[in-house]
Amino acid sequence: MTQPITDLSSVCANVEQANGLPNAHYIDPTIYAEEKQALLFSQWAGLAVAADVPEPGDAVPLNFVGMPLLLIRDKDGDVRVFQNICRHRGMILVEEPRKIEGAIRCPYHSWCYSTKGDLVATPHVGGPGQNTHDAIKRNELGLIEVRSHVWRDVVWINVSGDAPAFEDAMSDVMHRWREFELPLYHGGHDSRFTLEVNTNWKLAVENYCESYHLPWVHPGLNSYSKLEDHYHIEQPGQYSGQGTLVYRQLTNENGETFPDFEEVGSRWNEQAEYIAVYPNVLLGTHRDHAFAIILEPRGPEHTIEHVHLYYSVPDSDEGLRMRNSQLWKTVFEEDIFVVEGMQRGRHADQFDGGRFSPVMDSPTHCFHHWVADKIATHRSLAKAAE
Amino acid sequence: MRNDLHDRMLSAHEARDRIALIKLYAEAADSMNDIDASCFFLTHAYVFALEAGSPDAKVLHARLKQHGREA
Repeated sequence: MTQPITDLSSVCANVEQANGLPNAHYIDPTIYAEEKQALLFSQWAGLAVAADVPEPGDAVPLNFVGMPLLLIRDKDGDVRVFQNICRHRGMILVEEPRKIEGAIRCPYHSWCYSTKGDLVATPHVGGPGQNTHDAIKRNELGLIEVRSHVWRDVVWINVSGDAPAFEDAMSDVMHRWREFELPLYHGGHDSRFTLEVNTNWKLAVENYCESYHLPWVHPGLNSYSKLEDHYHIEQPGQYSGQGTLVYRQLTNENGETFPDFEEVGSRWNEQAEYIAVYPNVLLGTHRDHAFAIILEPRGPEHTIEHVHLYYSVPDSDEGLRMRNSQLWKTVFEEDIFVVEGMQRGRHADQFDGGRFSPVMDSPTHCFHHWVADKIATHRSLAKAAE
Repeated sequence: MRNDLHDRMLSAHEARDRIALIKLYAEAADSMNDIDASCFFLTHAYVFALEAGSPDAKVLHARLKQHGREA
Protein backbone atom coordinates (compact mmCIF):
# COMPACT_ATOMS: atom_id res chain seq x y z
CA MET A 1 0.00 0.00 0.00
CA THR A 2 1.26 3.47 -0.79
CA GLN A 3 2.05 5.36 2.40
CA PRO A 4 -0.21 8.40 2.69
CA ILE A 5 1.81 11.56 2.77
CA THR A 6 0.86 14.91 4.19
CA ASP A 7 3.37 17.67 4.69
CA LEU A 8 3.53 18.36 8.41
CA SER A 9 6.62 20.56 8.44
CA SER A 10 4.68 23.76 9.02
CA VAL A 11 2.81 22.16 11.93
CA CYS A 12 6.09 21.79 13.80
CA ALA A 13 7.13 25.40 13.26
CA ASN A 14 7.14 27.88 16.12
CA VAL A 15 3.61 28.65 17.26
CA GLU A 16 3.88 32.11 15.72
CA GLN A 17 4.45 30.68 12.27
CA ALA A 18 2.85 27.26 12.52
CA ASN A 19 -0.17 25.98 10.66
CA GLY A 20 -2.53 23.44 12.08
CA LEU A 21 -2.78 19.89 10.78
CA PRO A 22 -3.93 19.61 7.16
CA ASN A 23 -7.56 18.78 6.36
CA ALA A 24 -6.72 15.19 5.47
CA HIS A 25 -5.99 14.48 9.13
CA TYR A 26 -9.63 15.06 9.90
CA ILE A 27 -11.49 13.65 6.91
CA ASP A 28 -9.35 11.13 5.02
CA PRO A 29 -9.97 7.44 5.87
CA THR A 30 -6.41 6.51 4.89
CA ILE A 31 -4.89 9.07 7.25
CA TYR A 32 -7.38 7.98 9.92
CA ALA A 33 -6.05 4.43 9.57
CA GLU A 34 -2.49 5.71 9.78
CA GLU A 35 -3.28 7.71 12.91
CA LYS A 36 -4.92 4.65 14.44
CA GLN A 37 -1.49 3.05 14.53
CA ALA A 38 0.65 6.15 15.07
CA LEU A 39 -1.43 7.95 17.68
CA LEU A 40 -3.71 5.41 19.34
CA PHE A 41 -2.36 1.84 19.20
CA SER A 42 1.28 2.79 19.82
CA GLN A 43 0.50 4.98 22.85
CA TRP A 44 -1.31 4.61 26.17
CA ALA A 45 -4.84 5.42 25.07
CA GLY A 46 -8.01 5.59 27.13
CA LEU A 47 -10.40 2.70 26.57
CA ALA A 48 -12.96 2.82 29.38
CA VAL A 49 -13.18 3.28 33.14
CA ALA A 50 -12.72 0.62 35.78
CA ALA A 51 -16.13 1.59 37.16
CA ASP A 52 -17.60 -0.02 34.02
CA VAL A 53 -16.72 -3.41 35.56
CA PRO A 54 -17.27 -2.89 39.30
CA GLU A 55 -17.53 -6.55 40.36
CA PRO A 56 -15.37 -9.62 39.69
CA GLY A 57 -16.66 -11.37 36.57
CA ASP A 58 -18.15 -8.21 35.06
CA ALA A 59 -17.33 -8.16 31.36
CA VAL A 60 -17.94 -5.48 28.74
CA PRO A 61 -17.23 -5.96 25.04
CA LEU A 62 -15.80 -2.83 23.46
CA ASN A 63 -14.74 -1.76 20.02
CA PHE A 64 -11.57 0.29 20.06
CA VAL A 65 -11.00 1.91 16.67
CA GLY A 66 -12.31 -1.23 15.00
CA MET A 67 -10.59 -3.74 17.28
CA PRO A 68 -12.91 -5.98 19.33
CA LEU A 69 -11.80 -5.95 22.95
CA LEU A 70 -13.14 -7.36 26.19
CA LEU A 71 -12.88 -5.35 29.40
CA ILE A 72 -13.20 -7.67 32.37
CA ARG A 73 -12.61 -7.71 36.10
CA ASP A 74 -11.12 -11.09 36.88
CA LYS A 75 -11.99 -13.30 39.81
CA ASP A 76 -9.27 -11.67 41.94
CA GLY A 77 -10.58 -8.19 41.20
CA ASP A 78 -7.95 -7.11 38.68
CA VAL A 79 -9.09 -5.22 35.60
CA ARG A 80 -7.87 -6.80 32.37
CA VAL A 81 -8.32 -6.20 28.66
CA PHE A 82 -8.32 -9.02 26.14
CA GLN A 83 -8.92 -9.25 22.46
CA ASN A 84 -12.53 -10.41 22.40
CA ILE A 85 -11.88 -13.39 20.18
CA CYS A 86 -11.50 -17.13 20.57
CA ARG A 87 -8.05 -18.50 19.77
CA HIS A 88 -9.72 -21.29 17.81
CA ARG A 89 -11.58 -19.66 14.91
CA GLY A 90 -11.46 -16.01 15.90
CA MET A 91 -15.11 -15.93 16.90
CA ILE A 92 -16.33 -13.01 19.02
CA LEU A 93 -16.61 -14.33 22.58
CA VAL A 94 -18.82 -11.85 24.40
CA GLU A 95 -21.50 -9.91 22.54
CA GLU A 96 -23.09 -7.91 25.36
CA PRO A 97 -22.08 -6.64 28.81
CA ARG A 98 -22.69 -9.42 31.32
CA LYS A 99 -21.43 -11.20 34.38
CA ILE A 100 -19.09 -14.13 33.75
CA GLU A 101 -20.12 -16.58 36.46
CA GLY A 102 -17.42 -19.14 35.77
CA ALA A 103 -15.67 -19.34 32.43
CA ILE A 104 -15.99 -17.44 29.17
CA ARG A 105 -17.43 -20.00 26.72
CA CYS A 106 -17.03 -19.39 23.02
CA PRO A 107 -20.51 -19.68 21.51
CA TYR A 108 -19.11 -21.46 18.43
CA HIS A 109 -17.30 -24.66 19.56
CA SER A 110 -17.36 -23.96 23.30
CA TRP A 111 -13.68 -23.49 23.99
CA CYS A 112 -13.61 -22.01 27.49
CA TYR A 113 -11.39 -19.37 29.08
CA SER A 114 -10.95 -18.25 32.68
CA THR A 115 -11.46 -14.59 33.55
CA LYS A 116 -7.67 -14.36 33.62
CA GLY A 117 -7.59 -15.47 29.99
CA ASP A 118 -6.36 -19.04 30.47
CA LEU A 119 -7.71 -21.62 28.02
CA VAL A 120 -9.34 -24.15 30.32
CA ALA A 121 -11.44 -26.39 28.06
CA THR A 122 -11.28 -27.53 24.45
CA PRO A 123 -14.28 -29.82 24.09
CA HIS A 124 -14.07 -32.56 21.43
CA VAL A 125 -10.82 -31.09 20.10
CA GLY A 126 -9.38 -34.60 19.73
CA GLY A 127 -12.65 -36.08 18.46
CA PRO A 128 -16.03 -36.66 20.13
CA GLY A 129 -15.57 -36.87 23.88
CA GLN A 130 -11.80 -36.43 23.49
CA ASN A 131 -11.04 -33.03 24.96
CA THR A 132 -7.30 -32.80 24.50
CA HIS A 133 -4.93 -33.14 21.59
CA ASP A 134 -1.15 -32.93 21.60
CA ALA A 135 -1.20 -30.23 18.94
CA ILE A 136 -3.45 -27.96 20.96
CA LYS A 137 -1.36 -26.67 23.83
CA ARG A 138 -3.70 -24.84 26.15
CA ASN A 139 -0.94 -22.93 27.88
CA GLU A 140 -0.03 -21.34 24.53
CA LEU A 141 -3.56 -20.48 23.53
CA GLY A 142 -4.89 -18.19 26.21
CA LEU A 143 -6.77 -15.05 25.29
CA ILE A 144 -4.59 -12.36 23.77
CA GLU A 145 -4.16 -9.82 26.53
CA VAL A 146 -3.78 -6.15 25.73
CA ARG A 147 -1.39 -4.24 27.96
CA SER A 148 -3.46 -2.14 30.35
CA HIS A 149 -3.10 0.12 33.35
CA VAL A 150 -5.66 1.82 35.57
CA TRP A 151 -4.93 5.40 36.64
CA ARG A 152 -7.55 7.84 37.88
CA ASP A 153 -10.00 5.02 37.19
CA VAL A 154 -9.29 5.26 33.44
CA VAL A 155 -8.34 1.98 31.80
CA TRP A 156 -5.43 2.89 29.55
CA ILE A 157 -4.28 0.43 26.92
CA ASN A 158 -1.22 0.09 24.75
CA VAL A 159 -2.31 -2.12 21.86
CA SER A 160 1.12 -2.31 20.21
CA GLY A 161 2.63 -3.48 23.49
CA ASP A 162 5.86 -1.55 23.05
CA ALA A 163 5.19 1.81 24.69
CA PRO A 164 7.28 2.64 27.77
CA ALA A 165 5.85 1.44 31.08
CA PHE A 166 2.77 3.48 32.01
CA GLU A 167 4.38 5.06 35.08
CA ASP A 168 7.29 6.19 32.93
CA ALA A 169 5.20 7.45 30.04
CA MET A 170 2.89 9.35 32.41
CA SER A 171 5.37 10.29 35.11
CA ASP A 172 5.08 14.05 34.56
CA VAL A 173 1.32 14.26 34.74
CA MET A 174 1.22 11.80 37.63
CA HIS A 175 3.71 14.00 39.48
CA ARG A 176 1.78 17.15 38.64
CA TRP A 177 -1.35 15.74 40.26
CA ARG A 178 0.40 13.70 42.95
CA GLU A 179 -1.68 15.39 45.67
CA PHE A 180 -4.75 13.81 44.09
CA GLU A 181 -3.44 10.24 44.27
CA LEU A 182 -6.38 9.38 46.46
CA PRO A 183 -9.35 7.05 46.10
CA LEU A 184 -11.78 8.24 43.44
CA TYR A 185 -15.41 7.24 43.77
CA HIS A 186 -17.49 7.17 40.61
CA GLY A 187 -20.76 8.98 41.23
CA GLY A 188 -22.75 6.13 39.70
CA HIS A 189 -25.46 6.16 37.06
CA ASP A 190 -26.18 9.87 37.49
CA SER A 191 -22.52 10.70 36.97
CA ARG A 192 -21.93 9.22 33.55
CA PHE A 193 -23.16 10.36 30.17
CA THR A 194 -22.11 10.15 26.56
CA LEU A 195 -22.14 12.71 23.81
CA GLU A 196 -22.13 11.65 20.15
CA VAL A 197 -20.38 14.24 18.10
CA ASN A 198 -19.86 14.55 14.36
CA THR A 199 -16.21 15.44 14.60
CA ASN A 200 -12.77 13.94 14.42
CA TRP A 201 -11.58 13.03 17.93
CA LYS A 202 -8.59 15.37 17.68
CA LEU A 203 -10.81 18.44 17.41
CA ALA A 204 -12.33 17.54 20.78
CA VAL A 205 -8.80 17.44 22.24
CA GLU A 206 -7.87 20.73 20.60
CA ASN A 207 -10.93 22.52 21.90
CA TYR A 208 -10.43 21.14 25.41
CA CYS A 209 -6.82 22.32 25.54
CA GLU A 210 -7.41 26.04 25.34
CA SER A 211 -9.25 28.65 27.37
CA TYR A 212 -9.38 31.15 24.49
CA HIS A 213 -12.91 30.12 23.57
CA LEU A 214 -14.37 30.20 27.08
CA PRO A 215 -15.88 33.71 27.13
CA TRP A 216 -17.44 33.19 23.70
CA VAL A 217 -18.70 29.64 23.93
CA HIS A 218 -19.29 29.35 27.67
CA PRO A 219 -20.54 32.79 28.74
CA GLY A 220 -21.99 31.24 31.90
CA LEU A 221 -18.54 30.18 33.04
CA ASN A 222 -17.14 33.56 32.13
CA SER A 223 -19.38 35.25 34.68
CA TYR A 224 -16.99 34.12 37.39
CA SER A 225 -14.11 32.40 35.63
CA LYS A 226 -12.69 35.00 33.35
CA LEU A 227 -10.12 34.50 30.66
CA GLU A 228 -7.43 36.25 32.66
CA ASP A 229 -7.97 33.82 35.54
CA HIS A 230 -6.70 30.94 33.39
CA TYR A 231 -3.23 29.68 32.68
CA HIS A 232 -1.76 27.31 30.11
CA ILE A 233 -0.52 23.83 30.88
CA GLU A 234 1.99 22.45 28.39
CA GLN A 235 4.19 19.40 28.58
CA PRO A 236 5.45 18.87 25.03
CA GLY A 237 5.08 15.29 23.87
CA GLN A 238 2.71 14.32 26.66
CA TYR A 239 -0.16 16.59 27.56
CA SER A 240 -1.53 20.11 27.52
CA GLY A 241 -4.48 21.99 28.87
CA GLN A 242 -5.52 24.84 31.05
CA GLY A 243 -5.96 25.75 34.68
CA THR A 244 -8.11 28.23 36.53
CA LEU A 245 -7.36 30.22 39.67
CA VAL A 246 -10.95 30.97 40.61
CA TYR A 247 -12.65 27.60 40.99
CA ARG A 248 -15.84 27.99 43.00
CA GLN A 249 -17.45 25.02 44.68
CA LEU A 250 -20.98 24.01 43.78
CA THR A 251 -23.46 24.41 46.62
CA ASN A 252 -26.99 23.19 47.19
CA GLU A 253 -29.92 25.13 48.66
CA ASN A 254 -28.52 24.54 52.16
CA GLY A 255 -25.13 25.89 51.23
CA GLU A 256 -23.58 22.43 51.38
CA THR A 257 -20.68 21.42 49.16
CA PHE A 258 -19.06 18.14 48.18
CA PRO A 259 -16.44 17.01 50.70
CA ASP A 260 -12.88 17.82 49.63
CA PHE A 261 -10.27 15.30 48.65
CA GLU A 262 -8.42 15.13 51.92
CA GLU A 263 -5.07 16.82 52.33
CA VAL A 264 -4.73 18.07 48.78
CA GLY A 265 -3.39 21.33 50.11
CA SER A 266 -4.63 24.89 50.24
CA ARG A 267 -3.26 25.79 46.82
CA TRP A 268 -6.17 23.84 45.37
CA ASN A 269 -8.81 25.82 47.27
CA GLU A 270 -9.58 27.92 44.24
CA GLN A 271 -7.47 26.22 41.62
CA ALA A 272 -8.59 23.57 39.15
CA GLU A 273 -6.91 22.00 36.15
CA TYR A 274 -8.09 20.51 32.88
CA ILE A 275 -5.59 18.39 31.02
CA ALA A 276 -5.74 16.52 27.74
CA VAL A 277 -3.50 13.51 28.23
CA TYR A 278 -2.50 12.53 24.71
CA PRO A 279 -3.93 10.91 22.79
CA ASN A 280 -7.58 10.75 23.83
CA VAL A 281 -8.23 11.29 27.53
CA LEU A 282 -9.47 14.58 28.94
CA LEU A 283 -9.12 14.91 32.69
CA GLY A 284 -10.26 17.54 35.15
CA THR A 285 -9.58 17.86 38.83
CA HIS A 286 -10.87 20.14 41.58
CA ARG A 287 -10.67 20.17 45.37
CA ASP A 288 -13.96 18.27 45.62
CA HIS A 289 -14.55 16.37 42.38
CA ALA A 290 -12.88 15.15 39.24
CA PHE A 291 -13.89 13.95 35.82
CA ALA A 292 -12.56 11.86 33.00
CA ILE A 293 -13.66 12.05 29.39
CA ILE A 294 -12.64 9.24 27.10
CA LEU A 295 -12.84 10.13 23.44
CA GLU A 296 -13.86 7.10 21.44
CA PRO A 297 -12.93 7.57 17.78
CA ARG A 298 -15.66 6.02 15.63
CA GLY A 299 -14.41 7.15 12.24
CA PRO A 300 -12.71 10.18 10.71
CA GLU A 301 -15.73 12.35 11.43
CA HIS A 302 -17.46 10.70 14.35
CA THR A 303 -16.55 10.60 18.04
CA ILE A 304 -18.29 9.43 21.17
CA GLU A 305 -17.35 11.27 24.35
CA HIS A 306 -17.73 9.14 27.48
CA VAL A 307 -17.96 11.41 30.50
CA HIS A 308 -17.51 10.17 34.09
CA LEU A 309 -17.63 12.22 37.30
CA TYR A 310 -15.84 11.26 40.52
CA TYR A 311 -15.98 12.32 44.16
CA SER A 312 -13.87 12.00 47.29
CA VAL A 313 -16.38 9.81 49.13
CA PRO A 314 -18.55 6.90 48.05
CA ASP A 315 -21.77 8.39 49.41
CA SER A 316 -21.78 11.98 48.10
CA ASP A 317 -25.04 13.89 48.07
CA GLU A 318 -27.25 12.69 45.20
CA GLY A 319 -28.88 16.06 44.58
CA LEU A 320 -25.53 17.81 44.36
CA ARG A 321 -24.20 15.09 42.09
CA MET A 322 -27.10 15.46 39.70
CA ARG A 323 -26.67 19.24 39.70
CA ASN A 324 -22.96 18.86 39.01
CA SER A 325 -23.56 16.38 36.19
CA GLN A 326 -26.03 18.78 34.60
CA LEU A 327 -23.60 21.66 34.96
CA TRP A 328 -20.81 19.82 33.18
CA LYS A 329 -23.16 18.36 30.58
CA THR A 330 -24.28 21.87 29.70
CA VAL A 331 -20.67 23.02 29.36
CA PHE A 332 -19.65 20.06 27.19
CA GLU A 333 -22.76 20.38 25.04
CA GLU A 334 -21.91 24.03 24.45
CA ASP A 335 -18.70 22.82 22.81
CA ILE A 336 -20.44 20.56 20.31
CA PHE A 337 -21.28 23.20 17.72
CA VAL A 338 -17.65 24.34 17.56
CA VAL A 339 -16.08 20.93 17.15
CA GLU A 340 -18.73 19.97 14.58
CA GLY A 341 -18.32 23.33 12.87
CA MET A 342 -14.53 22.94 12.66
CA GLN A 343 -15.09 19.43 11.30
CA ARG A 344 -17.31 20.69 8.48
CA GLY A 345 -14.72 23.39 7.90
CA ARG A 346 -12.11 20.71 7.14
CA HIS A 347 -13.91 20.04 3.85
CA ALA A 348 -12.88 23.47 2.53
CA ASP A 349 -10.16 22.55 0.03
CA GLN A 350 -8.03 25.66 0.39
CA PHE A 351 -7.84 25.60 4.20
CA ASP A 352 -4.20 25.47 5.25
CA GLY A 353 -4.76 24.09 8.75
CA GLY A 354 -5.25 27.55 10.15
CA ARG A 355 -3.06 29.62 12.44
CA PHE A 356 -2.60 29.81 16.18
CA SER A 357 -2.74 32.75 18.53
CA PRO A 358 0.84 32.76 19.82
CA VAL A 359 -0.50 33.83 23.21
CA MET A 360 -3.75 31.91 23.58
CA ASP A 361 -3.42 28.75 21.47
CA SER A 362 -0.10 27.30 22.49
CA PRO A 363 -1.63 24.30 24.35
CA THR A 364 -3.46 23.37 21.14
CA HIS A 365 -0.32 23.83 19.10
CA CYS A 366 1.45 21.59 21.62
CA PHE A 367 -1.01 18.83 20.70
CA HIS A 368 -0.60 19.40 16.95
CA HIS A 369 3.17 19.20 17.37
CA TRP A 370 2.78 15.89 19.23
CA VAL A 371 0.58 14.52 16.45
CA ALA A 372 3.07 15.58 13.78
CA ASP A 373 5.99 14.07 15.70
CA LYS A 374 4.24 10.74 16.24
CA ILE A 375 3.25 10.53 12.61
CA ALA A 376 6.76 11.35 11.48
CA THR A 377 8.11 8.58 13.71
CA HIS A 378 5.50 6.15 12.40
CA ARG A 379 6.31 6.99 8.78
CA SER A 380 10.03 6.67 9.28
CA LEU A 381 9.59 3.26 10.93
CA ALA A 382 7.33 2.14 8.11
CA LYS A 383 9.89 3.33 5.57
CA ALA A 384 12.71 1.57 7.39
CA ALA A 385 10.65 -1.63 7.43
CA GLU A 386 10.31 -1.46 3.65
CA MET B 1 -31.19 -41.30 24.51
CA ARG B 2 -34.79 -41.18 25.64
CA ASN B 3 -37.05 -38.78 23.74
CA ASP B 4 -38.19 -36.99 26.88
CA LEU B 5 -34.56 -36.31 27.90
CA HIS B 6 -33.86 -34.97 24.43
CA ASP B 7 -36.90 -32.68 24.71
CA ARG B 8 -35.86 -31.46 28.15
CA MET B 9 -32.39 -30.69 26.79
CA LEU B 10 -33.84 -28.66 23.95
CA SER B 11 -36.05 -26.76 26.38
CA ALA B 12 -33.08 -26.04 28.63
CA HIS B 13 -31.07 -24.83 25.63
CA GLU B 14 -33.97 -22.65 24.60
CA ALA B 15 -34.18 -21.17 28.11
CA ARG B 16 -30.37 -20.91 28.38
CA ASP B 17 -30.77 -22.69 31.70
CA ARG B 18 -27.19 -23.77 32.37
CA ILE B 19 -27.94 -25.45 35.68
CA ALA B 20 -30.53 -27.65 33.97
CA LEU B 21 -28.14 -28.34 31.09
CA ILE B 22 -25.45 -29.58 33.49
CA LYS B 23 -27.90 -32.03 35.06
CA LEU B 24 -29.46 -33.18 31.79
CA TYR B 25 -26.16 -33.83 30.02
CA ALA B 26 -24.85 -35.65 33.07
CA GLU B 27 -28.03 -37.69 33.07
CA ALA B 28 -27.49 -38.47 29.39
CA ALA B 29 -23.90 -39.51 30.10
CA ASP B 30 -25.06 -41.85 32.85
CA SER B 31 -27.64 -43.45 30.58
CA MET B 32 -25.05 -44.51 28.00
CA ASN B 33 -23.48 -47.92 27.95
CA ASP B 34 -20.71 -46.85 25.61
CA ILE B 35 -17.77 -44.94 27.17
CA ASP B 36 -17.26 -42.69 24.13
CA ALA B 37 -20.90 -41.69 24.04
CA SER B 38 -20.89 -41.18 27.78
CA CYS B 39 -17.82 -38.94 27.62
CA PHE B 40 -19.40 -36.96 24.80
CA PHE B 41 -22.30 -36.00 27.08
CA LEU B 42 -20.06 -35.61 30.12
CA THR B 43 -18.03 -33.10 28.14
CA HIS B 44 -21.11 -30.98 27.57
CA ALA B 45 -22.10 -31.18 31.23
CA TYR B 46 -18.55 -30.15 32.17
CA VAL B 47 -18.47 -27.18 29.77
CA PHE B 48 -21.78 -25.84 31.03
CA ALA B 49 -20.60 -26.34 34.62
CA LEU B 50 -17.41 -24.41 33.85
CA GLU B 51 -19.40 -21.62 32.26
CA ALA B 52 -21.78 -21.42 35.19
CA GLY B 53 -19.02 -21.57 37.78
CA SER B 54 -20.77 -24.60 39.22
CA PRO B 55 -19.02 -26.77 41.81
CA ASP B 56 -20.11 -29.75 39.65
CA ALA B 57 -17.28 -28.83 37.28
CA LYS B 58 -14.70 -30.36 39.59
CA VAL B 59 -16.46 -33.73 39.74
CA LEU B 60 -17.20 -33.79 36.02
CA HIS B 61 -13.59 -32.91 35.25
CA ALA B 62 -12.41 -35.75 37.46
CA ARG B 63 -14.66 -38.21 35.64
CA LEU B 64 -13.40 -37.10 32.24
CA LYS B 65 -9.80 -37.20 33.41
CA GLN B 66 -10.32 -40.69 34.75
CA HIS B 67 -11.19 -41.78 31.23
CA GLY B 68 -8.25 -39.90 29.71
CA ARG B 69 -10.52 -37.31 28.10
CA GLU B 70 -9.39 -34.21 29.95
CA ALA B 71 -6.10 -32.69 31.04
